Amino acid sequence: MIRSDDARREILRAIRENLARSSPPDPLSATRRGSSPPDPLSTSWRGGTKGEDRSPSPEGRGGQGVRSRFTEQLAAVGARCTPVCGEADAARAVARILTDAGARRVVGSDAPVVQQLLRALGDGFVVDSVDRVSRDELFRCDAGVTTAQWGIAETGTLVLESGRERSRLLSLVPPVHVALLSPGCICESLGDALARVSPASHAITFITGPSRTSDIELTIVTGVHGPQAVHVLLLEEE
Amino acid sequence: MARSFERNARAALADGQLRGALRDATTLFGERRRAAMATLPDWEGARERARAIKDETLLHLDRYLEQFTANARRAGARVHWAEDAAQACQIIGRIAEEGGARTVVKSKSMASEEIHLNAALAGRGIEPVETDLGEYIIQLAGETPSHIVVPAIHKTKGQIAALFAEKLGIEPSDDAALLTAAARQALRRRFAEAELGVSGVNFAVAETGTIVILENEGNARLTTSLPRTHVALMGIEKVIPRFADLEVFLQLLPRSGTGQVLTAYVSLITGAKRRPADEGPEALEIVVLDNGRSRMLASAVTRGSLACIRCGACLNACPVYRQIGGHAYGSVYPGPIGAVLSPQLFGMARSSELPFASSLCGACRDVCPVKIDIPALLLHLRAQVVHTRVGERRLLERLAFRGYAAVMARPRLFEWVMRAARMLRILPPLGAWTRFRDLRPLAPRSFREEWRTRLRHEAAP
Repeated sequence: MIRSDDARREILRAIRENLARSSPPDPLSATRRGSSPPDPLSTSWRGGTKGEDRSPSPEGRGGQGVRSRFTEQLAAVGARCTPVCGEADAARAVARILTDAGARRVVGSDAPVVQQLLRALGDGFVVDSVDRVSRDELFRCDAGVTTAQWGIAETGTLVLESGRERSRLLSLVPPVHVALLSPGCICESLGDALARVSPASHAITFITGPSRTSDIELTIVTGVHGPQAVHVLLLEEE
Repeated sequence: MARSFERNARAALADGQLRGALRDATTLFGERRRAAMATLPDWEGARERARAIKDETLLHLDRYLEQFTANARRAGARVHWAEDAAQACQIIGRIAEEGGARTVVKSKSMASEEIHLNAALAGRGIEPVETDLGEYIIQLAGETPSHIVVPAIHKTKGQIAALFAEKLGIEPSDDAALLTAAARQALRRRFAEAELGVSGVNFAVAETGTIVILENEGNARLTTSLPRTHVALMGIEKVIPRFADLEVFLQLLPRSGTGQVLTAYVSLITGAKRRPADEGPEALEIVVLDNGRSRMLASAVTRGSLACIRCGACLNACPVYRQIGGHAYGSVYPGPIGAVLSPQLFGMARSSELPFASSLCGACRDVCPVKIDIPALLLHLRAQVVHTRVGERRLLERLAFRGYAAVMARPRLFEWVMRAARMLRILPPLGAWTRFRDLRPLAPRSFREEWRTRLRHEAAP
């Protein structure tokens, strides 16, 4: 039986003793070590991929520049992007994606916009909601439809927050993942997205393209554990 | 273990298939890395920033660890501390037993290999299942990884096909997509039945108590969201201070490791699920592992080893690793960083050869995203090995150097020795060096002799 508290004390003591052995006899560092965590570093590094400062882009979030960069990056990472306008258009686009993928059993998240869209999907699909399916049924379904809370233009990434929607398994288990995203939610950079996500979510997932591996002779194969196809619907209001 | 590195390296050098695979992998990752670097305009600035964050964290590691664990606990995680491998295995084994787990799914974790968790779980009658495709292949074959990023790089498609045919009962195929699909299907069953998932941790954010996991396959997401309990095993050095610090590390790690701008998945997990309706495990158990790491804090040189973010870039760049691969190092951590970490984590006695497995060319230092001065660390460890080595070898070495110093300090003696060497046609014994190379023959007359004759010549009328 291990007393975890003993181990904790022991490890922290070892850390402090070893640090004390290494640090020069500098009174400044001694007082600093006893105080609250130090201030953020002051280096000249700015982050971002263009080395630009963090002022908002001229077009603002979701502007044409950011949007086209996002679309380009999505293509670069092997995700597909379809701009749609309004609910009817979105439903038609989803139906087309599912038909092309040969997907029949479709499960949607609990987001109202997804529920609405799936109701408008039309005949030929078996539609269910994540609240009503068992895990076995989830494993057997062909496609998952969710929203994404944010997009990242710099990397072609979708950001899903568990606090907003039940999308954690739907974006992972079925072979096809369709995500609805509002163009206004596309962030420029990784740093912007990190600043916007809500730490209140116990799981935040960054998705960049389909699941992939190159473990067998370096051949890239998609869909190893997660979806083989990731579709993004950029949803404009009518 | 004595001389095992040399023996392993020889075996690897004789394996043409392995060397071809290693060359392909390390060259490909090296090229992808360079291309990905170019998409970040201030690569150097990012490296410096990342290293500064690591240095700051390590200098205050006690406080950042306490801050991290307090915040993780506040978010609903349970935190366990393990001083060594045995304690960590016992903690995880007990969690598995208490949860009634018969099967444990695992995503790639170097720390779990470091503590030999699989053997410990198997000893309790619990079956550990590796779910990263490469690790899964290795586990089925009963082998160990040869590369950090592509663990099964030493195996050909044909070998994997034969393995899958035998273990999974599929038709042999040389199609990587079909083989991958077979593994997906087999592992889905294991995911569905596993009561416990064990993952590693890439970064642990002190400010929020968040653990961050990067991957491409989705197996880490399945491991951390399907089973009832998620155990996350992390070394004490994984902490970073602030949530915003993630940006620079998310820019550096995928670019350095696989040459991607970002891995397919990044999971940021803060505590256990909040409401019963939430998806995900009921419990998050974080195991904080020391296992020799705190010792490395004792000097500024060795402390640098703890900045490592396990990208594997130094392996791909290393002219030694590129020829012999991971197995020769006989350690969970291979390559240049392995030659630095292994002796410090597992003791000099077991890995004393590794600091010498380098030409000190510095390629590892140049590619390291957190600017670890690996050659300096190797020299530091070499000095320790020499300092602690006892017995004949050391005595001979000391005698040889004393003799060398005596000759070099006396010009006349030096001349005499050289003349004798030329007359007797003997060259200094260089052992391994001259076995594969020829030394240039000595000139019939030395420079000094030449100089003297010429002087005499010119002085003559």
